[in-house]
Amino acid sequence: MYLLTVATLVAIYAILTLGLNTVTGLAGQISLGHAAFFGVGAYTTAILTVRHGWSFWPALLAAVAASAAVGALVGAAAIRVRDDFLAITTMGVNFVLVSVFLYFPFFGGALGIGGIPGPRLLGQEVAKPGFLALTIGGVVLALAVNLWLGRSWAGLALQALREDEDAARAAAVDVRKFKILAFTIGTGLAGLAGAFYASFLTFISAGDFGFPFSITVLCMLVFGGIGTNRGAVAGAIVLGAAPELFRFLADYRMLTYGALLVLLVRFQPAGLLGDDSAIWRRLRGARAA
Amino acid sequence: MIVQQLVNGLTVGSLYALMALGLTMVYGVLRVLHVAHAAVFTLGAYGGLWTFTLTGSFWLALLGAMAVAVAAGLAMERWVYWPLLAKPTVATLIASIGVFVGLEEVYRLVAGPEPHAFRVTLRINDVRIADVLVTAPQVLVIAVTVALLAALWLFLTRTSLGLALRAVSQDREIAAACAMNVRRIVSLNFALGSALAGAAGMLVGVYYNSVSPTMGDVTAYKGLAIIVLGGLGSVPGTVVGALLIGILETAFIGFVEFPFPRDAWAFLAMIVVFLLRPQGLLGR
Amino acid sequence: MLTAEGEPTMNRVIVAGLMLLVTAVPAAAQGPIKIGFFAPLTGFAAADGASARHSAEIAVEEINGAGGIKGRKIELVVYDDRHDSKEAVAVASKLIEKDQVVGVVSGSYSMPSRVTAPIFAKAGLPVTVAYAVHPDVTKAGPCVFRNGFLGQVEGAAGAESAVKLQKARRIAVLTVDNDFGRVASAAFIERAKKLGAEIHSEQVYKLGEKEFGPYLTKIKDEPIDLIYHTSYYNEGSQIARKARELGIKAALEGTEGIDSPKFLELAGPAAEGVTFTTNLNRDDPRPEVQNFLKRYQAKAGTGADMVGASAYDAVRILARGLETGGTDPKAICAALTGLKDYHGITGKITRFVKGEVTKPVQIQIVKDGKVRSFAVIDNPEVITPPVQ
Repeated sequence: MYLLTVATLVAIYAILTLGLNTVTGLAGQISLGHAAFFGVGAYTTAILTVRHGWSFWPALLAAVAASAAVGALVGAAAIRVRDDFLAITTMGVNFVLVSVFLYFPFFGGALGIGGIPGPRLLGQEVAKPGFLALTIGGVVLALAVNLWLGRSWAGLALQALREDEDAARAAAVDVRKFKILAFTIGTGLAGLAGAFYASFLTFISAGDFGFPFSITVLCMLVFGGIGTNRGAVAGAIVLGAAPELFRFLADYRMLTYGALLVLLVRFQPAGLLGDDSAIWRRLRGARAA
Repeated sequence: MIVQQLVNGLTVGSLYALMALGLTMVYGVLRVLHVAHAAVFTLGAYGGLWTFTLTGSFWLALLGAMAVAVAAGLAMERWVYWPLLAKPTVATLIASIGVFVGLEEVYRLVAGPEPHAFRVTLRINDVRIADVLVTAPQVLVIAVTVALLAALWLFLTRTSLGLALRAVSQDREIAAACAMNVRRIVSLNFALGSALAGAAGMLVGVYYNSVSPTMGDVTAYKGLAIIVLGGLGSVPGTVVGALLIGILETAFIGFVEFPFPRDAWAFLAMIVVFLLRPQGLLGR
Repeated sequence: MLTAEGEPTMNRVIVAGLMLLVTAVPAAAQGPIKIGFFAPLTGFAAADGASARHSAEIAVEEINGAGGIKGRKIELVVYDDRHDSKEAVAVASKLIEKDQVVGVVSGSYSMPSRVTAPIFAKAGLPVTVAYAVHPDVTKAGPCVFRNGFLGQVEGAAGAESAVKLQKARRIAVLTVDNDFGRVASAAFIERAKKLGAEIHSEQVYKLGEKEFGPYLTKIKDEPIDLIYHTSYYNEGSQIARKARELGIKAALEGTEGIDSPKFLELAGPAAEGVTFTTNLNRDDPRPEVQNFLKRYQAKAGTGADMVGASAYDAVRILARGLETGGTDPKAICAALTGLKDYHGITGKITRFVKGEVTKPVQIQIVKDGKVRSFAVIDNPEVITPPVQ
């Protein structure tokens, strides 16, 4: 049960990092507010299932749609800016959304929303192992989406964006459309994670979706290897499970994260498994040989 | 009452201004979002407290706060920002966040998570002008801010070093081409910005009688919104933006009573200005 | 060792000896009784987490020092929940599955307590909650027992103190924007109005607010007798300081959130005369209370607070369940459900009703820089928790 709990949480983190990778890694847009969209998905699920009696499955779809919609809005605003501006904007969106969750009774306000039911299949409540399978399914879905995106025409355009936004624009790549697309997909995935999260914890409150968590997710992605799907998953697994494995480090965890970020960026920006990382190169070398 | 609340708003805005100036100055020369600036601010507070405990003098403590902050700022510039200049901006941003998170933790581990009192007996009195009361602490904050801002303004406009600073801020490459020691100018920028932040940190510590590891958080985030609002890289823009936000927050609590959390106003204002005038209020 | 023909006497001695060993060993080899404990040991709430932990440890040391539970010692399995829901959930499953505790004490805030209560309930483990206030915590199951007050009770008691005892007629309310603040303030306002006072203004501020100029300037020149603020020691101390800085003469009343030596330190001279509702009476002459205060001071180096005293009681209550019920979780639950007239250091619990206590509310006051007793509210109409 304990392992199932940790594994489920790691799977949820992986969906988050994969979604962030769509936005930040694939499309080169800086998002510091991923947790907010996670929250939109979670609250949508909570409100629909607790207050309106919806079953988990349609609520899940609604959660993805809601966070994607908010993402599209932010994406539309993002077209006017680039790089640093965007970072602050997404950070601002995070703060504003969390404030909204905290303040308005519609979102449970300070009391949060509890009693969120779990998914039911064929009349039975899905048990813990089943739920884990479900979240892993979500990870697979996220991977599939990212892979499809990367290989499609949209993906090529996004890559161009990432390399050089001005050149892409000059080559008549519709920058605007693709930024919005990237945001929408990435935040939709965050919403998916949010739906699982709400069901799993059965109780959510505004504090779960703050800026520090956005940083944690970013940290996982950077650590694993920003821009790569395997990096996203690896980062989620290692940094998601690490607290459990290294409980003795507990008091030094955030310090370690901070130091890790700085050192990684300076000496190993490709992270653990990024395209240029020492480990990945060795793995590829082994495969080629 | 309106004037009274205006005083409140200006006091808070002054503190924001001192903090945000460092951010805008660093952005001006390096085009980098110095998120770790918050940690410099907090270090200033702790440094000031420590110096005060040792010497019992407010002014020495203020100098101590600024000195400690300058040291930290320069260290960050040297070991984190300068080496990463060639890399994409995402990298510096992430590194900055890492430094910020890490340093806050160090403060917590060294000084403890609870706030420390910072009691200074002020030898100035409240000021009363007609119906308006400016309390002694408020007088202190406003006076010190005005003094520091005046000094900065004189420096930037009347000294050749200041001019050089503004040149580098406009265009680093051209300034380098003009054989200015860009590196030195960048360091100077960090030093000045950090000094201001250190002073701000200590003032906040004294004003609220509280120094804690996370005291820089909200001001830091807000500072980022303020510099965008005011115009990235623009010193006067930042000051105007900061005062504006201080007044705005106060007004929405004091008068309009709009049920929206205080800290979100800065971001809301930023987003609005952004959509209407992306270069900020006084930006180029 | 048996030879082919046997050496019966020798064998019998060995067998007898083995049997003796087998019966004697379990008593000693049974090992300590494990109870789980979680609190925010790191993060913004670390100070309260530390207080809760120190106090829980004091309780365990005392129990073990007096012989333990029927000869067996208690072992506290401590985890840090970092005031994070995900962390709390992982901790809960760990306690249940890996550490296999027989009972749990929550030394934490509402969020982690609330998210873990259903998990423990599903696993059939009894939980005693030290001070978390969210009403839903005890609704998770029949085996969750809260030692602290519900926000509703505390707010109502605050009104009794403000209106009846301090004779306040016009009151300004400042509410911290979290579950505790909202619920307590609402209850305060309702009761105060019932008692005939006028609520002059209601303002809400964010958790962690330091700048109270705008809020207090609004009421500075109004004829207010008392300002009631739900807050923690950070905000509460700022409210007290700013009020005095602005020259506001109204009385100040707070809640258990400011029951901490930190409030006194950060508020400085402005703390003088501030009253607050809480469950710890520092002037309580009972030896167990005074001993705890002394032991805590010696262990932690600062004065004890409500959080610590509540954690101490929560551990002790669970221990009482162990004493009377044994180590089977169901039996502990039954024992606690039937608990009557338990004298904790944070007050006498008549009994638990749906996991909530009926306990008198202490009103403490800061006098000459020290926290002293001001009054006790034991009006049943006020202190009975609003559950059926």
